[in-house]
Amino acid sequence: MTETRTFTDMEQIICTSARLMHADKLYFTAIGGPPLVAVLLAKTLHAPNLAYVVEDGTIAPQVQLPAPMFLIEASGGSYRAASWTDMNTVGFHAGLGYLDYGILAAVQVDEYGNFNSTFVGPAYERPERRFGGPGGANEIASLCWRTILMTRQQGRKFVKKLDFMSSPGFLDGSAGARERAGLPADTGPWRVVTEMAVFDFDEESHRIRLMGLAPWATVDDVVAEMEFEPLVASTLENIEVPGEEELAVLRAQVDPSGRTVRGRWITVELDGESARLVEQEAPAEGA
Amino acid sequence: MTVLAEGTGTFLQPDPDAHRRYIRDNKEKGLVSKVMSEAEAVKRFVDDGDYVAYDCNLWVRGPAALMREIVRQKKRELWIAAKFTAHDATMLVAAGCVNRIDVGWMEVGRVITEAQAAGDVQLFEWSNGAMTYRLLAGSLGVPFLPLRYLGGTDVFKTGTKLIEDPYTGNPINVVPALNPDVALVHVNQCDEYGNARIFGAGLQPVETAMAAKKVIISTEEIVSTDEIRKDPQKTRIPYYAVDAVVHVPFGGYPGTVPGLYKAHLEHLMESGAAQMQGKMDEYLDKWVHSVSSNEEMLEKHVGQEKLAVLKAEETIKEGYYE
Repeated sequence: MTETRTFTDMEQIICTSARLMHADKLYFTAIGGPPLVAVLLAKTLHAPNLAYVVEDGTIAPQVQLPAPMFLIEASGGSYRAASWTDMNTVGFHAGLGYLDYGILAAVQVDEYGNFNSTFVGPAYERPERRFGGPGGANEIASLCWRTILMTRQQGRKFVKKLDFMSSPGFLDGSAGARERAGLPADTGPWRVVTEMAVFDFDEESHRIRLMGLAPWATVDDVVAEMEFEPLVASTLENIEVPGEEELAVLRAQVDPSGRTVRGRWITVELDGESARLVEQEAPAEGA
Repeated sequence: MTVLAEGTGTFLQPDPDAHRRYIRDNKEKGLVSKVMSEAEAVKRFVDDGDYVAYDCNLWVRGPAALMREIVRQKKRELWIAAKFTAHDATMLVAAGCVNRIDVGWMEVGRVITEAQAAGDVQLFEWSNGAMTYRLLAGSLGVPFLPLRYLGGTDVFKTGTKLIEDPYTGNPINVVPALNPDVALVHVNQCDEYGNARIFGAGLQPVETAMAAKKVIISTEEIVSTDEIRKDPQKTRIPYYAVDAVVHVPFGGYPGTVPGLYKAHLEHLMESGAAQMQGKMDEYLDKWVHSVSSNEEMLEKHVGQEKLAVLKAEETIKEGYYE
């Protein structure tokens, strides 16, 4: 019995990330965009008591859906919080080790999980395209115990050399590199989630390692969309495509405007655990 | 103390003793009314070349009216702390007011990109947390503070130093205190002396005000000192830090002041389009130069009816006014 399902690349990234989240952990999430939507999806679907903080000092809000607009709907974003503090205070909490996971989006990622959200182009003074800057990502990626990065599977995103390192992964990958740079011990990137794959990091070399694969993609498909060769785990986990309930909640409740979940469409034919790619849109320019 | 590595970029140098002397010699310690117009406040307390820090942004409880007044008075060569900044930096750069920006996060479009390419504006990369923490150091009166991020990244290169912690011996990063020349903070309530109340989660209103030499508060509402003294816990910024109190209802417009009014989305779309179309001059003419104050701008270009709608649509009052 086969079934056809259609979803966007970003819907897959958000659903996969949400499945990694649990109610007994504390999350420090980017204040808008895919990270916040993934957290809200997890709260709606399987972890209603999951608590998160955002950098404006809001601690453990219970926002009403749909997801409030980035910054502009601040009273919605901080609705029924456990506490309203400020940016320094939530930074202190992360520094103290309270925040288990940071959830962030990245423009470029390298093989040690370092990432860029500042600019792409030849030089800082001459960017081809300039982005908002590190924002709170540098502190989140430094201070939380583990970091989940969300990004699309594209060669220009998985690069050999970042145009600018806004935020730290395992730096040069050597043992103790983060500690030598003054960052807290035992911290670092944990997962990188794309529409095709989930990566973790090799414990010894700290190099990025493919550990999960969408059933409609192959290892070659993933590697073709990277500038460098990742390590590949001996057994790969199957990443389920977005389920009907996940998509319904995401589209109808969390982000009905489609502002965050929009992306390139992917259609697959499902047969049990396997899935065959029917068609996918080409990546949009600038996505 | 051993410096293991250090950034070599440009940043405002900390000088805590100079700051103390400024405070000693210039701040009004008496209970004196500081209520004045936005025009007078900006004329008296913002000088060309000043380092300006502000709390929040043009989308959320930012000092929007004060920023427009800076544009109106054509202040020049300002250096701004753009942390958690919306299109504030864009507006100030488009108006030719700003030539240096410390970046945490800001909305970036063609205005800043083109100004940077033309050499009209220089950017210095930090992070939201680092800028806020630098203001904290500034508000504590110390020259620097240690922190456990920035290290190892390109952001480190601006002005962070990696030192050997004199207590544990481990490497630790330190960042320089930031004592801005001017702080702009938009608040919910304030008395005539400057005792200010801010409702809701919010970036660093207190650190920003306390770290600065000159402090301009714009407020939605002036309340009596009697009311302030009946509930002193609510006072976040004490009067002696404040140089000017500007009564500006809808002073955060077009942004939201949580609990009070919604952001005006049509305006934000208009400013976004103006940037995309290279028509920022027209935008600034309409919203800044064609009027003499925030009040006149609201009257002419927004209207009481729309303002009432923005107030009515902000239905969440819990925690702010309830």
